[in-house]
Amino acid sequence: MLKLIDVAVAYGSFTAIKRVNIEVEKGEIVVLLGANGAGKSTTFRSISGISKLARGEIHFQGSPIGGRAPDKNVREGIVQCAEGRKLFPRMTVQENLKMGAYVHRKKKDDIKRSLEYVYHLFPVLREKHHDEAGSLSGGQQQMLAIGRALMSKPKLLMLDEPSIGLAPLIVEQMFQVIEEINREGITILLAEQNANAALGIAKKGYVFENGEIVVQGTATELLANDEVKKAYIGA
Amino acid sequence: MDILIQQLFNGLTIGSVYSLVALGLTLVYGILHIPNFAHGALYMLGGYITLSMMTLYGVNYWLAMFVSIIAVGLLGVLLERFVFRLLRDAPPLHDKIAAIGILLFLEAFAQFVWGADFHTMNSPYGQVVQVMGLTFTLQRLLIIVAAIVVMVLLYLFLKKTYTGSTIIAMSQNREGASLVGININKVAMLTFMISGGLAAIASSLASPINLVFPGMGHLVILKAFVIIILGGMGSIPGAIVGGYILGFSESLGATYVSNDYKDIIAFILLVVILTVKPTGLFAKGER
Repeated sequence: MLKLIDVAVAYGSFTAIKRVNIEVEKGEIVVLLGANGAGKSTTFRSISGISKLARGEIHFQGSPIGGRAPDKNVREGIVQCAEGRKLFPRMTVQENLKMGAYVHRKKKDDIKRSLEYVYHLFPVLREKHHDEAGSLSGGQQQMLAIGRALMSKPKLLMLDEPSIGLAPLIVEQMFQVIEEINREGITILLAEQNANAALGIAKKGYVFENGEIVVQGTATELLANDEVKKAYIGA
Repeated sequence: MDILIQQLFNGLTIGSVYSLVALGLTLVYGILHIPNFAHGALYMLGGYITLSMMTLYGVNYWLAMFVSIIAVGLLGVLLERFVFRLLRDAPPLHDKIAAIGILLFLEAFAQFVWGADFHTMNSPYGQVVQVMGLTFTLQRLLIIVAAIVVMVLLYLFLKKTYTGSTIIAMSQNREGASLVGININKVAMLTFMISGGLAAIASSLASPINLVFPGMGHLVILKAFVIIILGGMGSIPGAIVGGYILGFSESLGATYVSNDYKDIIAFILLVVILTVKPTGLFAKGER
């Protein structure tokens, strides 16, 4: 479904990622592991089309998408839920969700259905649908960010550190919801530092270090890998 | 008492014009974080285009205003596409220099085409009416009503339509806007178009009670900057309320202090606001 071939991205003279090769099959959950600044977010930004490729190719459903504008990618079903959430803080929860359906704005019934689906996944958003997004707690904002991404009806959903800064109980819920979203048939690319939980729901993973992939394998392989254990699981 | 009411009415008139100009300025600032110094020149061009349409082609006032809105709106789009978009990744100072360059260019252009003379614009609404002891020209009433109609329409557009909400969304989080599939470039062009259109409406409305000349935008744009600092940079309600506050203080100041000092009032307000509440009355939260 998604294939990155030798992708490199540079910010000025600084090379953020180099020679990144990733393959994601339809319906999978694939996890990107790595410390802050290892290149996970840049990889997402390159897939979304926000960061320009310095080298390499990206293919989505068989056709090249490298260098395509972000709004086109969203329309094609590549949706990113970015780190830092990027919500519209002074719009209400419901307005934020509706903006998420921007590319489907002509289909009123679909929007209603998507809205119901998001409220079903995150009941707290329904309770707070009149509140400003900026007034929500961190966990609720994260739910809203995921909800807004779902409103775009993604085929591929990229979640950038959805568990960052959240209480352990909320983190657990978050991973359950991610699995539930995946069961609906949405392919998920997940960037995480919480390796244990992420590998628990993922099929395979890639480990980033200094902008490169250093280890890759199935979830079971990675969980058994000594280096991964030492670096990310702390066992 | 009569004088007070008369002056409040006058304040409402000039406040309406100020609000319209400030709205265009604040919309562009909210989205692109560009202080568009050239906005005053757009205001000036709007006046000239309406005037030329009326005198050269004998078009009626409303049609002339419509042409002016379209023309200045399109000029705004061109400015975004061929000047500010190219500077998006440049240091912020470059935007400001470019805006001043456009201002100087457009003024020289106006002087070249229309000359440096002062022109009067005759609106079909010059007759004097008396209502409840108030004496005013119909044009002044028209300014107030038209400005309110435009503001209500703008509000409905921004709040109730998807296209309008993209402007709000982009001003609140530009990257978030592109993540939901909004085309940032289109929104930027749309914003410049609305901003230019608002400037043209304001000058077409105000010209019959003022004069049309190449420097007519100077004081207006300076005051519009005072207004958006007063109301909070990028704030839409701030621009409206700020415009009326300035309008009222000027007309009351002109009567009860001195007519000679009425243009100073804006800048005294600026000093006071920057001292007491530098973020403006309707400041948005920090991002």
